[in-house]
Amino acid sequence: MRYRVIHKTEYVYSEFVGLSYNEARLLPRNTGTQHCQRTQLQIEPLPTDYREREDFFGNRVAYFSLREPHQRFVVTASSEVEIMPQGRQLNLSCGTDWEAVQLSLHQAHDPQTLDARQYALSSPFVAANTELANYAQTSFPPGRPLLEAVHDLMGRIHRDFTYDPGFTDLATPLATVLAHRRGVCQDFAHLAIGCLRAQGLAARYVSGYLETLPPPGAAKLVGADASHAWFSVYIPELGWVDFDPTNNQIPVDQHIVVAWGRDYGDVTPLKGVIFGGGEHELIVSVDVQNLGY
Amino acid sequence: MNGLPEMRGEASAQWYPLGTGAHDEMLHDDGKVRPHWEYMIRALRTLGMEELERRGAEAAKLLRENGVSYNVYGDPAGQTRPWQLDPVPLLVSSEEWGLIESGLQERAELLNLILADIYGPRELIRKGLLPIELIYNHGGFLRACDQIALRGKHQLVIYAADLARGPDERMWVIGDRTQAPSGAGYALENRVAMTRVLPSLFRDSHVHRLALFFQSLRASLNAIAPPGAEKPRVVVLTPGPLNETFFEHAYLASYLGYSLVQGDDLTVRDGYLWLKSLGGLERVDVVLRRVDDDFCDPLELREDSQLGVPGLLEVVRRGNVAIANPLGSSVLENPGLMAFLPGIAEHFLGRPLRLPSAATWWCGQPKELDYVLTNLERLVIKPIHRSANTRPIFGHLLSQQELADWRDRIRAHPAFYVGQEQEEFSTVPSLAPGGLEPRHAVLRSFLVARADGYVVMPGGLTRSAPQKGDILVSNQTGSISKDTWVLASEPEKPVNLVMKPSPEQVAASLSGALPSRAAGNLFWVGRYAERAEGTIRLLRSTIRKLYGDPDRSSSEYASLYCLLRAVTQLTGTQPGFLGEDTALLREPEPELLSVAFDATRVGSLTNTLRCLVQAGYAVRDLWSSDTWRVMDELEGYLFSTRHLTSPPLGQVLDIMDQLITTLSAFSGLIMESMMRGNGWLFLDMGRRLERSSLQLSLLQATLTRQQPEAMETLLIEALLDTSDNLISYRQHYRNNMEVTAFLELLLLDENNPRSLSYQTARLQEYANRLPRENTGDRRLSLEQRLALDAATTLRLSSLDDLSAITGAGVRQNLDQLLSHLSQQLGLMSDAITAAYFRHESAPQPLASHRKV
Repeated sequence: MRYRVIHKTEYVYSEFVGLSYNEARLLPRNTGTQHCQRTQLQIEPLPTDYREREDFFGNRVAYFSLREPHQRFVVTASSEVEIMPQGRQLNLSCGTDWEAVQLSLHQAHDPQTLDARQYALSSPFVAANTELANYAQTSFPPGRPLLEAVHDLMGRIHRDFTYDPGFTDLATPLATVLAHRRGVCQDFAHLAIGCLRAQGLAARYVSGYLETLPPPGAAKLVGADASHAWFSVYIPELGWVDFDPTNNQIPVDQHIVVAWGRDYGDVTPLKGVIFGGGEHELIVSVDVQNLGY
Repeated sequence: MNGLPEMRGEASAQWYPLGTGAHDEMLHDDGKVRPHWEYMIRALRTLGMEELERRGAEAAKLLRENGVSYNVYGDPAGQTRPWQLDPVPLLVSSEEWGLIESGLQERAELLNLILADIYGPRELIRKGLLPIELIYNHGGFLRACDQIALRGKHQLVIYAADLARGPDERMWVIGDRTQAPSGAGYALENRVAMTRVLPSLFRDSHVHRLALFFQSLRASLNAIAPPGAEKPRVVVLTPGPLNETFFEHAYLASYLGYSLVQGDDLTVRDGYLWLKSLGGLERVDVVLRRVDDDFCDPLELREDSQLGVPGLLEVVRRGNVAIANPLGSSVLENPGLMAFLPGIAEHFLGRPLRLPSAATWWCGQPKELDYVLTNLERLVIKPIHRSANTRPIFGHLLSQQELADWRDRIRAHPAFYVGQEQEEFSTVPSLAPGGLEPRHAVLRSFLVARADGYVVMPGGLTRSAPQKGDILVSNQTGSISKDTWVLASEPEKPVNLVMKPSPEQVAASLSGALPSRAAGNLFWVGRYAERAEGTIRLLRSTIRKLYGDPDRSSSEYASLYCLLRAVTQLTGTQPGFLGEDTALLREPEPELLSVAFDATRVGSLTNTLRCLVQAGYAVRDLWSSDTWRVMDELEGYLFSTRHLTSPPLGQVLDIMDQLITTLSAFSGLIMESMMRGNGWLFLDMGRRLERSSLQLSLLQATLTRQQPEAMETLLIEALLDTSDNLISYRQHYRNNMEVTAFLELLLLDENNPRSLSYQTARLQEYANRLPRENTGDRRLSLEQRLALDAATTLRLSSLDDLSAITGAGVRQNLDQLLSHLSQQLGLMSDAITAAYFRHESAPQPLASHRKV
């Protein structure tokens, strides 16, 4: 499946910004099942300095700075991404049990396991703790295959938690989300990651887009699609397997990956430090267009 | 004699009671003096205890006067703590130093390899020599710094190790400092003080000199500069005057001849780092960093940091600036590493390390965790990542409940903690009341990387516990420093501690590489110094009139009202004597004392002096040692008068006289010993602007309204006294106190350095000399126009017009002139501030969008 994604971020400032330094993680990376055919950033005003690199997690980062005084700052990322159909068929009820995975994760020394192990550690937004371990527990009875356990956890989060964009913001701690059982995709992803880390398992945060299908007969609204987030868990025989707790599904070919990291903090789509500006207003729109095969 | 031994015959126990069970640096366990201490003991004995104490006090005074201080976080007084130096140094024999030196060099090389590996191939993790959890869980592991390397083979440019002698009589490394080690500057200051107070003892002891180490440091910083920078510009990046070791930052900057900068003195543009100096942007090639690494770049590291430079890391990544130590190097400040050093040493060097580390168990491994939990009550618990609110926990000081709590805490996050053996380290002879006593001590050693290996400072900073028996030695909890004397087998050729700046540095300091913040501070130093002086002079003249306790109902006393109102006007402490309450005018003492001593009142003398000292401290690196001593006297004044509430007027006059002398010494030193560069220009401009403004408000408050002649005479006399012009006036005009003559002397006489026209003439001259960007624009700048206007208006005004009463008892022309000048000079001050000083808003992070 091929998609065209246009992700536009616009800041409007009450006062002039004289200097702005930015970092964008908006250019989709390539993965085992995804090929980014073309992608580019369009920045207004024109940056005086622009450079791309790969970060610690292999994500594509664009660094740029603006020196022209401005009150409006727009970054538009346009990408065309092809998602290869998954070759594998997941059988939830077989595969290694979660305790064996946990053990091998902490004992094996091959490069792949070592790389996965970093995602079992606490990170700034997601620290494992007993509350998370307690919530996770019912999904992790002894001897259960990991894949099945995670699938169950995802289902429970989807059931137990209310999707409520008004309840949380970026600074809401995971403990609050857990206590009130409300949040958005980012909170649910963090929550699942925290539960898995509390079991000694490796889980990472994935940021990207989701194609939302229009109701039959209706035309798809431009900009109705949102930037999205889910999580991925490391299973030795399968590698990384994605789960989307917001929609209670295992992504097949509708999830477009932009970047991954330990948590949201590693993959913030657009970061910046500005001089001046006063109050600012932020408008974001995402358009995901299905281009067919 | 008391406190010091006969060399033979007298049992040491009588003069130096050991008995702590630990080894002692001076005595063998059997009480015999170790050979390398014999000369010292004999010399101290000849000197005598009393004399030694006197020399100690002298050293303390020297250090204080040089402004050597250490800021203690959370100290309610908000005061800098004077640096404490014990005049008895720690001696290290030449043979032992050889071992220590090579052991430290080896350890530094090893840590350097580890650092390069952690941010490079991470082979140690892949080979299982370093657990990933020990590194990736450490707050100092900065993923943004991955795969960035300094050129040359050394990533760890500066390294410091804390050493102590263990129970096996060997030196142990008990801590590593790898990101921005502090203390080298204090070691140097200690040495300077010691050679001043114990010159012959120092000379005859054949002590290794420190100066070469700093030359190595400078060479090493030059060597890491990006290619192409022939004469690299190096800056010292400090968090600012509130930092605990700010003194050292300023001291090193001035000793090494580098600019002292804070984050917002720097800016990133076009992939390079620039210093915002008065002359415009100047490329920076090397940063000697004293800001913690995660604070250095709010874009890629901590976004709430106000101490860094946004975009800095990207400049480093492109190789356009070198930072020492590199960002991310605090990853090595991890006590857990000590448990893995032996294995890594075998791997990299093929042999065990010569200097052992403290025995350490990292709780991230099951067996080690068990050991720590079982033996908690006799271990020291440390987090792997030190932060402002973490402290080592001593197991033996914990209650059963606290032990249980700690066990839970460790079990919850085992990888975050280590347990360390609590050794009893050796004691050093320390000066105590009445004699010497053994106290525990730690030696901090400093190393710097050169192409052919690490250079070790032959000496270091020894810190001893404040009391006998104390085991914790830390600056934050109070410790006493000592000089460290590494004894040479032969006398060394003396190297002058004072480094000559290179011709380029001299050129740079003259060409205006002054950070604009520093220029701003100097401008305010000038203003505050002048304001303080003006305030004192007026208070003094006023109080003198009150001193004889005049009849408060006499008409003569009423002439004082005018002066009292001038006090309020000039200090800006309204309502004061300008208020409704006229009773205040008859009983003015309390209000006058408040204007003098109330530190919380903006405009009071004490408040102004405090501002002066603060502005001065922020540019500590720019003052000569004599100038700083005067600053220190002012600080001493502030300290000694902090509880003064209602001193008798006589005492107040004495204090004022003393302060005038101190402030005059300050002005004199600036006139005589400060380079006439841009720094001086801004300082004197501040002074001239302030003097004008004081003069103007004084005249406006006193002479714009006509007074009865007798009263006017008294007033003029007081004003002449206030402006230190009484003698000049009498020489010119005899005793005939008369407004026209007075105005001529104070307003228009360009030969009188206290006249207004003298100030405006200087300001006009300075405005022409201000650095301007080379844009080819030949029009006058705003400040030039304002200065020109003020000077010309004054020159064109007529004395007769000014002194004329123009109806209703008002000197309207005078009033108009004074108002006009006030306005123009106020605008000029604003124009200078806008054009030259820090005025941009603080950076803020962009709010991020959230995913749904």
